This record gives sequence, C-alpha cells and structure tokens, in this order.
Amino acid sequence: MSTLEIKDLHVSVETKEGRKQILKGATLTVHSGETHAIMGPNGSGKSTLAYTLAGHPKYEVDSGQALLDGHDLLKMTPDERAKAGLFLAMQYPVEVPGVSMTNFLRTAKTEVDGKAPAIRQWTKDLNDAMKRLRMDSKFARRSVNEGFSGGEKKRAEVLQLELLKPKFAILDETDSGLDVDALRIVSEGVNRAKENTGMGVLMVTHYTRILKYIKPDIVHVFADGRFVKTGGPELADTLEETGYDQYLPEGANSESALA
Amino acid sequence: MSQKSEVTIPHADPKDPYAFPATMPSSADKEPRSFDPDDFPMPTRKQDDWRFTPIDRMEEFFTVFQPSGLTKVSVSMIDGSEPPADQVSFSRIPMDQAPCGTVLKPSDRAAAVEWASGKQATVVNLRGTLDQPVLVRVDGGGPELDAFHLVIKAEAGTKADLVVEHQGQARLAEGVEIDIGDNSQMSTTFIQEWDKGSKHVGNHRIHLGAEASLRHSVVSLGGDVVRLRMDQDFGGEQGDLNMLGIYFVDPGQHMEHRTMVVHNHPNCKSRVVYKGALDGIGAHTTWVGNALIQPTAPGTDSYELNRNLVLTPGAIADSEPNLEIENGDIIGAGHASSVGRFDDEELFYLQSRGIPEQEARKLVVRGFFGELVEEIDVPSVSGHLMGVIDRRLAAGEDQEMQHVLEEN
Ligand SMILES: Nc1ncnc2c1ncn2[C@@H]1O[C@H](COP(=O)(O)OP(=O)(O)OP(=O)(O)O)[C@@H](O)[C@H]1O
Ligand SMILES: [Mg+2]
Repeated sequence: MSTLEIKDLHVSVETKEGRKQILKGATLTVHSGETHAIMGPNGSGKSTLAYTLAGHPKYEVDSGQALLDGHDLLKMTPDERAKAGLFLAMQYPVEVPGVSMTNFLRTAKTEVDGKAPAIRQWTKDLNDAMKRLRMDSKFARRSVNEGFSGGEKKRAEVLQLELLKPKFAILDETDSGLDVDALRIVSEGVNRAKENTGMGVLMVTHYTRILKYIKPDIVHVFADGRFVKTGGPELADTLEETGYDQYLPEGANSESALA
Repeated sequence: MSQKSEVTIPHADPKDPYAFPATMPSSADKEPRSFDPDDFPMPTRKQDDWRFTPIDRMEEFFTVFQPSGLTKVSVSMIDGSEPPADQVSFSRIPMDQAPCGTVLKPSDRAAAVEWASGKQATVVNLRGTLDQPVLVRVDGGGPELDAFHLVIKAEAGTKADLVVEHQGQARLAEGVEIDIGDNSQMSTTFIQEWDKGSKHVGNHRIHLGAEASLRHSVVSLGGDVVRLRMDQDFGGEQGDLNMLGIYFVDPGQHMEHRTMVVHNHPNCKSRVVYKGALDGIGAHTTWVGNALIQPTAPGTDSYELNRNLVLTPGAIADSEPNLEIENGDIIGAGHASSVGRFDDEELFYLQSRGIPEQEARKLVVRGFFGELVEEIDVPSVSGHLMGVIDRRLAAGEDQEMQHVLEEN
C-alpha cells in the first residue's frame, strides 16, 4: 500500500513577462488502487501539477510538499522519481529522434527495476503488450514517438505504463485525440496495468466518455491552481452540464482562461 | 564512352539555393596538387582550406621535420590471427619507391610536408577474397612529431575489409594512399582513438578503379586536434564510393574532416555521410564536403550529408557542403547539412522514464551513430565499430565521474 501526498503546492514559471504563479496551494492524497479524475478549465494548471510531480525543470516549486510513501519527491531528479514509482503519461509526448523504442524501453526498464530484464521474458512481454494495444511490431524499431500520430503517441505512453509498472500513474489527457476504438484499447491498457500492479491513478481529462471505461473513485475540480471541489463519479456528469464558471474567480470565465 | 553534345545546366531556385546547387558559388578548392611543400603558402585562417582550423595548435605540421620514427605498426587479421600470406602482404619500403606516391598528389601544405618528411612507408597489399577483416594497428609514438605513410593496395577483383586503428599518444602527420583495383569490393575503416593531448593531421588519397566499390569509413573519437582530409578520384566507369564518418568531441577538442570527391568518369556513384556529436562548451568540429563533377562524368550520381548533434550548449559545429557541377547530364547531385540539438524536453522525457541524464545522452549518441554504423553490412566491422563507440561513451562516463571527484 502506497500513498502519494501533495500538500499545499505553490509553483511558478519564469516567463518573458516575469514570474508567473500557476499552482496556488494544490493539496491531494492518493492511495494505491484509487482512481482520481481531475477535471478543470484550460490553463488552470493541471499539466503544471503533473509536470511538477515528475520533476520538469521549468517549474519552480515555491512552497509545499509532494511525498511518495513519505519520501520527498521534490528533492529527487526526474529519473529518481520514476524509480521511486511515479509515471507521467504526457499530454504531449516528446519525440526523441535516433533512439529506437526497443532500446529506450529496455533501458528504462533496466533503470526502473535496477537490473536488466531477462531477455526472453522481456521480448515476450513487449510483444504481448504491443499486441494488446494494437500496435504494429514495426513501432518497436522506430525512433521514440518520432512521426507517431497523436493517437499512436498516446498508445505508446500506455505501453510504457504497462511495462514499467509504477506505483502511481498520472495520465495527462491520455484520452484526448483518440478515436472511439483507440479510447477503448487505451483504457483497457490502463485498467490492465492497474489490475496487475494495484497502482493509484490520477487521470486528467476533459471528457466524461473515458470515465465509462476507467471508473474513477473520486472526481476533482481543478481551477485556478488548486483543487476546488471533490466528489463522487456523479460530479463529472454535473460538470458536463454546468461547466466551470462557478469555480472560477470573480470576473473570470473559462473563455478568458484560454485567451 | 558516349559523349552527349547537349548539356543542360540545372537552374537554381532562388528560394532554395540548395535544391539545385549548380549555380551556387563554388568553393570546391582550386589549390595546387604537388609533392613540394613550397608550392603551398603557409596556412592562415584567411585561406579557404584553413578557415575553420585552429592553425596555432598545429603549426609544427607545416614545416618539413625530422620524424621521430617511434610510431609502431602491426598487421593481423581482426581476430588476431596471422593473415594468409598468399593474400595479404605487408612491407616497409622507402618513400621514393612505387607504389608510394602513385595515388594522386598532396592537396595541402600539411600533406606535402608529411610526404617530404617521411622516409619509409608501410605497404599492405591485398588480393583475392578475405573471409575476415585485416587489422592494421598504429600505436602512437608519444609527444614527439612523427610521420607515417601507409599504402593500401587492393589488386583487381579483391574482396576484402581493412580496419586501421590509431591508438595511444601521438603527434602524427599521416599520409594514406588507397589504390583499389578494378572490380574490387573493399571497405577501409579508420578509427582514431587517440589519448588526450594527441594531434593527428592526415591526408587520404584514394583511387577507385572501374566497376569497383569502396566503403571508406572514418571514426574519430579521441585526440586534441584531428584534421583529416580525403581526396579521391575514379579510374573508370561504374565506380561506387561510399564514405561514412563519425566523430565525437568534448570541450577543448577540434576535429575536422574534409572530403573531396571528384567525378572524373561517367556513371559513377558517390555517397558521403558524416555524423558528429559534440558535448560541451568549446567542443569544435568541422566538416567540409566537396564534390566536383567534371565535364567527363555524365551519368554521375552524387550525394553528401552531414548531421551534427549538439548535446550541451556552447559547442561549435561547422558544416559546409560544396558542390561544383560542370556537367548537366547527371543523375543527381545533392547535399544536406544540419546541426541539431538534444533539447531539454527530450532529456526530461527520457529521465521521466527512469533514465539518468548521463545515460540519456549516451542513448541518444549511440542511436545517432548506430543508424549509420548499421549501414555497414560487414558485421565484423560494424560490430567492432559499435564496440569502439561504446568504449568511448563509457570513457565519457569516467570523465564525468572524474569531474565529480575533482569537485569534491
Ligand atoms: N513555460 C511556461 N511559460 C509561460 N506560461 C506557462 C508555462 N507553462 C505553463 N504556463 C501557463 O500556465 C497556465 C497553466 O498551464 P497548464 O498547461 O498547466 O494548464 P492545463 O490546466 O493543463 O490546461 P489544458 O487543459 O489546456 O491542458 C497556462 O496559462 C499556461 O499558459
Ligand atoms: Mg494540460
């Protein structure tokens, strides 16, 4: 049983116009086996939260804590966080030309496990996982994410999730840009990973349709840099109807957050 | 040989001067070709050939000198066994004796100085079909200046691979003549794994016979200053030249590779692909690829490519392709060159999957070079090269550790 604790997190980025505060006191606790859905307007800071937890160097933590089983994630390098059991499926997975998926996956697996996987078993696991995600085996020979379509990139993220077996997975809009079949296939991948490892899931999404496949235990509204409301699965349906206006600060609306 | 009277010169697209480089200003060199150093002026940064070179770091290579004679050379098969005597012969002869000096002439002052300073040459003669690569090991003679002249002669119809490995500490002026007989299928691979503090200035002169193919590879992974210039011509129709280069530099190192491909016969093909990785402030590489297609070479197919990967900011990669096309009746002539960066987002992505920063860089460099090495379809050579590259990457790690240790 593991616990991910986010306590009163304040985060900013350096911009051309100066420092900009994005997270303004985010607090959340997730346990193994739980699935949390995070919904909120564009620009409210959901990806910032995800990146901050994963250790992206652009985001500066001003105050607050992030602990995985009591260990201070914020003191760790991104690779140490991954080894500690954190996984981020990115909203925009990065292309790494020249590094083949096979090499990348094997290296990542070796680092995360602290030892090289037995080659036979590994090849089988990789092939099986790719088959289940309906990924052609030729993807293994291609460079990491290079030239992958939007949907293929998302599948590749879930492939990594299945193979690396983290304690906690943050899925940042893994459902965006997927066709109906892909949505199901990818969701099944997440559910499988969860069944196999009992991981906790933080799922950032804009759409209730994925919640048909991946059932959240808890739904949060994230607005203006913090969690502003928490409820059961039914909260997602309410949001679908009412939108986020009531959660935004005076004078703001979700349209202006986009501008 | 068919001589077509009509010559069509492709026209340049003003928006993309590289699409049809025929009317590009040519800087394919007009330097003399001569064995006499005095036919060349003392190099300065103002001369085209020396524009990118840190001349003050290699001045000793510009004046005829007394070689130390300390460079050691040995020849074996790549598995260490004795070469078959009826197929591989190895001799030391005076420089004024053929086949020395039979393949082209020096193309710059450093090359002429090597010729004028050297006394003895090593000749490796190959014939028939060899079932494994020949290995020529060159061990540097330390900090004293030496000259080393190597002649590789493949008789007509030879099918063989040859690897030249440079190791140790050296200050070496080197001349290599490669004479590939008609109908041969050869590969020659030159590896520079010099120790810190080494300097290496070399000139390869290559003659490729009719219907012969040559894969010429250069892999430079060590040495403070390495400057290699490759000159080549064809001896008849249907020659196929494939040049490949790999270089990896750290701060304080300068590695320069210049290829001069000359199409002087009809229906020959040439490919030049060089890839470099640069790691750290002040790491400096230069690639200059010249290709000249003469009026006597209709049906030419030529392409050159240079890619550089800058791993950390502050490195300088010069990359300059020059094409000079004097014949409009060709299949193709093109080039591409780029300097790419291993950016923070890529690094973060790999790190977020548990891969530490140093390991991430290695992965990227290994992949970057690996793509090229894979193209060498001689497994014993490509395997050997990946081994050399891995050794270099591991050495980088040791250096990194050294920094950590020095800082503490
Ligand atoms: N590097 C940066 N420089 C400037 N502004 C940034 C930077 N990174 C994030 N921001 C800003 O911070 C705010 C939060 O961005 P973030 O990507 O976290 O939003 P989000 O909630 O994930 O939105 P979406 O639903 O559109 O994905 C946005 O206004 C964004 O423009
Ligand atoms: Mg986002």
